[in-house]
Amino acid sequence: MDPGVRLMERVRARDAAAFEALYDGYHRLVFGIGLRMLGDPTLAEDLTQNVFMKVWTAPDAFRGGSFVAWVSRVARNRALDTLRAKAVRPEAEIPADLPLEGALDDDVFARLDAQRVRDALAKLPPEQRGLIEMGFFGGVTHQELARRTDTPLGTVKTRIRNGLRRLRESLGERVSR
Amino acid sequence: MNDTSQDSMMESVALYALGVLPREEAALVAAFIANNDEARREYLDLRAAADALALSADEPVDSARSARMKERLMARVRSDAAGGTAALRRRTAASYPAWLWGTGLAAAAAIVFSVVTVAQDVNLRGQLAQAQNTNANLRTQLAQNDRVASQNRRTLTDLVAADAKVYQVTGGRVVVRGDKAYFALSNLPPLAKGKVYQAWTQPKGATKMVPSVTFTPDADGVAVIALPVDARGVGAVALSVEPEGGSKAPTSTPTFVRQLS
Repeated sequence: MDPGVRLMERVRARDAAAFEALYDGYHRLVFGIGLRMLGDPTLAEDLTQNVFMKVWTAPDAFRGGSFVAWVSRVARNRALDTLRAKAVRPEAEIPADLPLEGALDDDVFARLDAQRVRDALAKLPPEQRGLIEMGFFGGVTHQELARRTDTPLGTVKTRIRNGLRRLRESLGERVSR
Repeated sequence: MNDTSQDSMMESVALYALGVLPREEAALVAAFIANNDEARREYLDLRAAADALALSADEPVDSARSARMKERLMARVRSDAAGGTAALRRRTAASYPAWLWGTGLAAAAAIVFSVVTVAQDVNLRGQLAQAQNTNANLRTQLAQNDRVASQNRRTLTDLVAADAKVYQVTGGRVVVRGDKAYFALSNLPPLAKGKVYQAWTQPKGATKMVPSVTFTPDADGVAVIALPVDARGVGAVALSVEPEGGSKAPTSTPTFVRQLS
């Protein structure tokens, strides 16, 4: 089982030690998502503080499943909020938030680590990997991806779909539902 | 929905899983996923790969920064866990990003400075008022953004949630989850000029339908509608075509009437 799930049960009971363990285990991930999406260590630090305060003040927002997947999506959505608040781009160019719940088993991410995912990404053709990474961490829409890479929209769609499929195959049953 | 639209929507499922669709398009794809079992399977597969992507951002954080963040967080958490009232104030503070607090602190600093020098430079009053207005506007904007983002997040989550109750209806599905009910429609016939679709709800135990929102689907007959009612008190829903502006009672044969269990 994802250790985050067990720790969240204790956080709901206002266990500060469990919260500290959660922070120790996952702050690098949250900060890393913030840094890659916002490109500013200070903003990434703000984001990390906000995400973990949400974990502490509203633990019931986590309704089960994979804690890592959940906290990653919370971090990504919070980064999108920051991009909206900064109003550096029109709203239509900022993607919708990701749903916070899904059907993933809670132990899916227990079988994965950062290096394994980076290795799987490295196996993708550069044109697929570039679009997928820019899309996930860039906080941009597919239209913006097409514009930035000077690629037809249909090609962007196909490359993202094929890339995600290959990534899933590469990670194998580790990401099976 | 024709085959071309179907293929295009299937491709959009990957974009939805990766999170690169703008809000309106994301809502339409969520409705499509809710209505199409093949799309749902594809979504769950690709979402797993997209979720795994996040792990690639897990890299070492500068130890001084890591310790500083932890110290700030734990001070609040321990105080809160101990029941300290100070934690509540700090928690409220934590909900605003540093750049906004920077604006607030700048305004506070301007307050002190203007008191000292008001006799020397009355322009500072204007600057202070401007800073306060800017601060208020930023807070309002942030609150609006949060509300919209929260509603959007909730809708997308509910439509694809495993524990949602799904009812098949003509043109799509009705999705109920907790106190929320949605029409996720992907195959509505086009409307004649001057007509709109109108939703209806029937409170549990009642015999008459209550008028709800009116809407117009997109060119493909797709619409995602969150009904503005507590779904726990609704016994049935319906949809009909009505004149623009809506009706107090249905004036046409309903597109569907669905009892909710």
